[in-house]
Amino acid sequence: MSCRILVDRGVFVDARPDSRVSARVRATSARGRVIGTIGTQRLTKMDDTMSDRAVRDVLRRKLFHSRRRGRLWHAIPFEDIGELNDYLTDHLRFSRRVQWLVPAARRRTPLFVERAVRFEILEKKSNDGLTSA
Amino acid sequence: MNATASSGRTFPGGLGFLRPPAEIELGAYGLDLRGLRVADIGAGEGRLALGAARDAASVLAVDPDRGALARGRAAARRQGVSNVKFSEGAAQSLRLPDASFDVVIFSWTL
Repeated sequence: MSCRILVDRGVFVDARPDSRVSARVRATSARGRVIGTIGTQRLTKMDDTMSDRAVRDVLRRKLFHSRRRGRLWHAIPFEDIGELNDYLTDHLRFSRRVQWLVPAARRRTPLFVERAVRFEILEKKSNDGLTSA
Repeated sequence: MNATASSGRTFPGGLGFLRPPAEIELGAYGLDLRGLRVADIGAGEGRLALGAARDAASVLAVDPDRGALARGRAAARRQGVSNVKFSEGAAQSLRLPDASFDVVIFSWTL
């Protein structure tokens, strides 16, 4: 993670899909019942773990400090299961298949895939306060 | 839309296709961008860059995808946004001066 282009006390925003939690498939509305979940591909999880490690490293080295962190949930609508399957076929992060929690007869449409996005606001420490770089 | 967070705060992400709307994502960050120089690295078509431009003094949107940058420039023209510059580049090899930005955004990039 480069901080060269930031001014002292400048802010770095790290935001990305949160692969620590499965995406939820909701039925009929973005607030509807959860009828399935979608995991993350193994290689993507490994990439995310590396990114987490990079963030922890700059915090440990006191190059940045964390000002704020959180998670937002983003819902993506799909007309039917076919459209969702097409989306998953090409997806770089999601697993290819939904883990359904209800039988096929109860998978009402439209569907909404609710995914977590995590973010952290990091403030670059001023050079005066650095003990190592 | 409510959810249980394991840590930190949880915000509604909005209902949209593929990515949250810029105003929701930037709102969740809680940053005051007024008068600041912002770099959006991995900006794609400038979804966040164009949103940030409403408050920021200037925004540099960097992405390796020329097609996405062209679409971003067209969107900026359509929206009458003049303080966003779209530039081809990769996060790993930024040709930008030291200490030239107040805020750097990596959204869906790391």
